[in-house]
Amino acid sequence: MHHVLMDQWSQGASPLHKRDPRAKILALAAFLIVLATTAPNAFLTLVIDAVVLVAGILIAGLPLASLLLRAMAVLPFSLTFGLISWLAGDQLRALGLVEKSYLSTVAVLLVVGTTPLPLLLSGLEALGTPRLLVLVAQFLYRYLFVVSEQAQHIRLAAACRQGIERRRRSGFRAAAGALAVLFARSYYRAEGIHRAMTARAFSGKFALLRRLQFGWADGMFTLAIAAFLILVRIQ
Amino acid sequence: MTRFEKSCYFETSIRMHIPDNFLSTPVWATLDALSIPAVGLMVKRAGRELEDTSIPLLGVMGAFVFAAQMINFPVGIGTSGHLVGGALLAFTLGAAPATIVMTAIIAIQAFVFQDGGVLALGANIFNMAAAGVLAGYLPFWMWGARHRKPAIFAGAFLSVMVSASLALGELLISGVAMPRPLVLVSMALFAISGLIEAAITISVMQALEKLNPELVQRPDSTNWRALAVLSGVAVALGAAGFLWASSAPDGIQRLGLQLGLAAKTGFHAPFPDYTAFTFDSAWLRRATAGLAGLLLVYAVCVAVGKMIGRQRSA
Repeated sequence: MHHVLMDQWSQGASPLHKRDPRAKILALAAFLIVLATTAPNAFLTLVIDAVVLVAGILIAGLPLASLLLRAMAVLPFSLTFGLISWLAGDQLRALGLVEKSYLSTVAVLLVVGTTPLPLLLSGLEALGTPRLLVLVAQFLYRYLFVVSEQAQHIRLAAACRQGIERRRRSGFRAAAGALAVLFARSYYRAEGIHRAMTARAFSGKFALLRRLQFGWADGMFTLAIAAFLILVRIQ
Repeated sequence: MTRFEKSCYFETSIRMHIPDNFLSTPVWATLDALSIPAVGLMVKRAGRELEDTSIPLLGVMGAFVFAAQMINFPVGIGTSGHLVGGALLAFTLGAAPATIVMTAIIAIQAFVFQDGGVLALGANIFNMAAAGVLAGYLPFWMWGARHRKPAIFAGAFLSVMVSASLALGELLISGVAMPRPLVLVSMALFAISGLIEAAITISVMQALEKLNPELVQRPDSTNWRALAVLSGVAVALGAAGFLWASSAPDGIQRLGLQLGLAAKTGFHAPFPDYTAFTFDSAWLRRATAGLAGLLLVYAVCVAVGKMIGRQRSA
């Protein structure tokens, strides 16, 4: 399963896994910005960028084929728009849409695959994202699978009782009822979670087992990546 | 495990967020610069409005919106739709908290599910979390007390239409060439999905009110002028995007070209010393000019946010 797979990937111990999340976020930003300003037909630059990504994947010890396959998720969208641009006579843009959106996706996957999401979010918070937003995202990720499982049960139950696919009118209303029940259950679940967390002395902040530390190695890592990419871009 | 696998979010839903490298650099950068203070303002507002209880609530309701995509609504001819959720969240949690939840959803979608780009986060947040939610809230805020059903219907319809029109407009300004018939067809599709969203939202709201009326917000419980103004701006922007895209795609391309040229030439004056650098590249010059422009947009946004905040506390 996709996200569980990513969670497994992000538990590794490679040099990339060990970098501070802030270092990886900044390096990712540098990569994406440089890529966004690269011309679609600057093939040498794009190939070097791709080599950097593949080297990163190998250093991190992530499964190369599986990651490259995952990144193809963006292709249906970009191939469609690429085709439209191609037919409209803008071959250069068509090329850029496909190759650059694919490279961007691989870059994001590399960072997410080497950083557990709670750490990534803490890194974003340390870089200035509002605490409330980060907390909401943490809770969202934590309960995503719980609520999804419940939606699954509700769907099954509704289908058993009256056959959602059969009659259109009542099917629509049944789905609305199912969704309202899911809403109410999520709401009450959140109240329960809050009570439980208050009872366990939740102070409005998640404690990390390992404190974030932006060391020399992290700084050098970000600087080296950014400088290399910019130099390749300017040539 | 296998049962769950089949129903995973990324397999059942259509990807509709803008990926990276679809928008031109000035467009995504401006929207990033706009979204940061916009979300910051909403966080401040929500922080004042909410109690402690609400932090897990917002997170779990975000998970609910994800999970809601699994429940299909039959809409005829063998197709089915599902909830988008921005408007429903606005009607139940309030506009500012709904914006925060949608922002968190879009961020998780970009990082975990590769649905939408990271540089395009600002654009997606602006379209769906900020403009979409606010535009959806406007009819509810204005007429929700007296004409409840039409207000809910109009709000849900508007929220989808505004975000979709903005996304389309941004793509066209970025110079993605789309033939006119295609633009019109996608407009029609947006309108249909807006109607589906409206129908879903209104029937879920009715079911919710039967379950527990306290789950649904009283429309007049918030009285925030700036919110109304911002919502109006969101609707106007969406309408502008709609009109532009539907009337003159060629004109937009020309405008995009002109904007690009202006960015290239217009900013030379403040940085005359550039020739002194060894990297005498047009790229570096343009990047610096763009950065200066972004800082300007950001500063204006922060200043406006501060002013609104001060007015509020005064």
